[in-house]
Amino acid sequence: MEALRAEAISKSYGEGETRVSALVDVSLRLERGSVVALLGPSGSGKSTLIKALGLVSVPETGRIWMDDRLVVSDGQSIGSIRDLRRDYLGFVFQRSNLIPFLTARQNVEIACEIGARFDPKKRSMELLEYLDVAHRASALPATLSGGEQQRIAIARALANQPSLILADEPTAALDKQRGRAVMELFRRVAHEQGAAVLVVTHDHRTLDVFDAQHEMEDGRLLH
Amino acid sequence: MNLALLDIRRNLGRFAGTSFGIALLFTVVLAMAGIYQGLVDDATILLRSVHADLWVVQKGTRGPFADPSRLDPSVEARVASVAGTRRTRSFTYQVLQRDVGARSLRFALVGLSWPDDDGRALPIVQGRAIGSAHGEILVDASLGISVGSTMKLATEELRVVGLTRQMLGSGGDAVVAATLSDAQLIAEDAPPDVVRTERERRAERLRNVDLGRSQPALESLLFDPTWRPPVIASPPVHAVLVEVDGPPRLEEVRAAIATWPDVSVFTTDEQEKLLLDGVVDKPRRQLGLFSLILVITSSVLIAAIVYTMTLDKAHHIAVLKLMGASRGRIAGMVMQQAWLMGVVGYAIAVAIGSEAFPHFPRRVVLTDTSIAMVGALVLLVSTVASMLGVVYALRVDASRALEA
Repeated sequence: MEALRAEAISKSYGEGETRVSALVDVSLRLERGSVVALLGPSGSGKSTLIKALGLVSVPETGRIWMDDRLVVSDGQSIGSIRDLRRDYLGFVFQRSNLIPFLTARQNVEIACEIGARFDPKKRSMELLEYLDVAHRASALPATLSGGEQQRIAIARALANQPSLILADEPTAALDKQRGRAVMELFRRVAHEQGAAVLVVTHDHRTLDVFDAQHEMEDGRLLH
Repeated sequence: MNLALLDIRRNLGRFAGTSFGIALLFTVVLAMAGIYQGLVDDATILLRSVHADLWVVQKGTRGPFADPSRLDPSVEARVASVAGTRRTRSFTYQVLQRDVGARSLRFALVGLSWPDDDGRALPIVQGRAIGSAHGEILVDASLGISVGSTMKLATEELRVVGLTRQMLGSGGDAVVAATLSDAQLIAEDAPPDVVRTERERRAERLRNVDLGRSQPALESLLFDPTWRPPVIASPPVHAVLVEVDGPPRLEEVRAAIATWPDVSVFTTDEQEKLLLDGVVDKPRRQLGLFSLILVITSSVLIAAIVYTMTLDKAHHIAVLKLMGASRGRIAGMVMQQAWLMGVVGYAIAVAIGSEAFPHFPRRVVLTDTSIAMVGALVLLVSTVASMLGVVYALRVDASRALEA
């Protein structure tokens, strides 16, 4: 089953002579259970694509389906963007972006509460155990290591069983060993939880972890 | 999960410090309300304590508290003859500042129509009511004079036989109650030199008219102890207090007295209104304006604090939005923090006020109503003040969560 299908999506910034095409006719399919790398130099459009697929910045043209449901068509979202993000998407960021005044467990719980699909306390503990960080459940983010923070962030992204997890350079702040561990975790999550995971990365040493790779340049998806 | 509470719990020191600062502002707002209520109570406590249905005063004046009123003492007997009148009392009221021992005391001297009125209606907390026609007084405890001690006023040595609590005149001065004759004696006291000068002036006037020149013996009468007329006129009373035979006869008695050409008559409610309009009106407006400035200051302060707190959380708000958090949850978090800050500040303010206000030089009265009103005001101020933060939070773009 396709977690994501994007057809000919385009996005530009500015007007007239200053107009810059950030995405040009990008088409992409992601199967559930697959982990895919998105490569490319800075300014190639990776982050813009993540924002477009994450419905943070709706593309001007093209169409997007999630779990076979049309969610974006020709610059318009079909349904509430807030609800679509909540129901279909999970995000992992460069920094963990955990809420600092919530414990590790509460950071996952709040996502469950927003999703309202699972019992927050039960689901959060299950995910922390699944990602081997249950022992840090009551710790505040500031007291967690970088690797632990990213594991909690992944647990948060999984809270509402999304069909697609978008990860924007999730290992940028980690050392090589911890970075690889996180990438392997994404692979495990994709295969075991059935979500598609699209990871923006510059780290070519971990490409063996991914099922597929796509490269971007000048707003176009090369392959 | 209550995000507002959890945020506060993790930043307790900052929250407590901020709330304490706001509490100090609310304390002043409470003080303003309390000072106003104290003014009203001070102004009316004596009026209510004397238990009169009607106040008969000099024609065209507004009574003993708002206006100087002088009535001939015979008015009391005239009023007593009106059908429906149960009891009448002469009453004097005068604010004096006199040296008593080494202290300069300012007080409201009230003359009671003894023996009919011995002051037992006043709130006596120590000692007894006035038991003698002369030489005994009741004083308010705030003057710091104890039962049994004496005060020399005019030429009289007066013994304190009872203490009252919070018995104040319309201007907030402590009340000293004496018999009518003692009060008149004290109030109308004239030094011997003044009396002598007045007699000489009268003799001089007599010498300048034909009658005096033709009958020089008249002049000697001015200085004859058995014939000399008083140089100071018979002391007036300031009001006559009337109690009627039940409320149904009030209008009847009032209407009868109102026809007299030399007096005006007011009910106690009318006296109270005149008193409040005259004595309390300006301070009320003054305090009201101060309170308004303080409320605006508090609102601006809370708004600035909540806005700053929201700025600090902008990235987390973006993350919550990216997760699909509703606008209600985001706005609720900001608003609840403002409310909590207001409520905690208000609770501290009430606690500070309860401890500190009794030590203020003038009475600060915290009534349940004023506490509740300030509480409601705090909620309103907190809600309005949170709007700036709420608007900012709702405008935070979810894409900020993706920024490194």
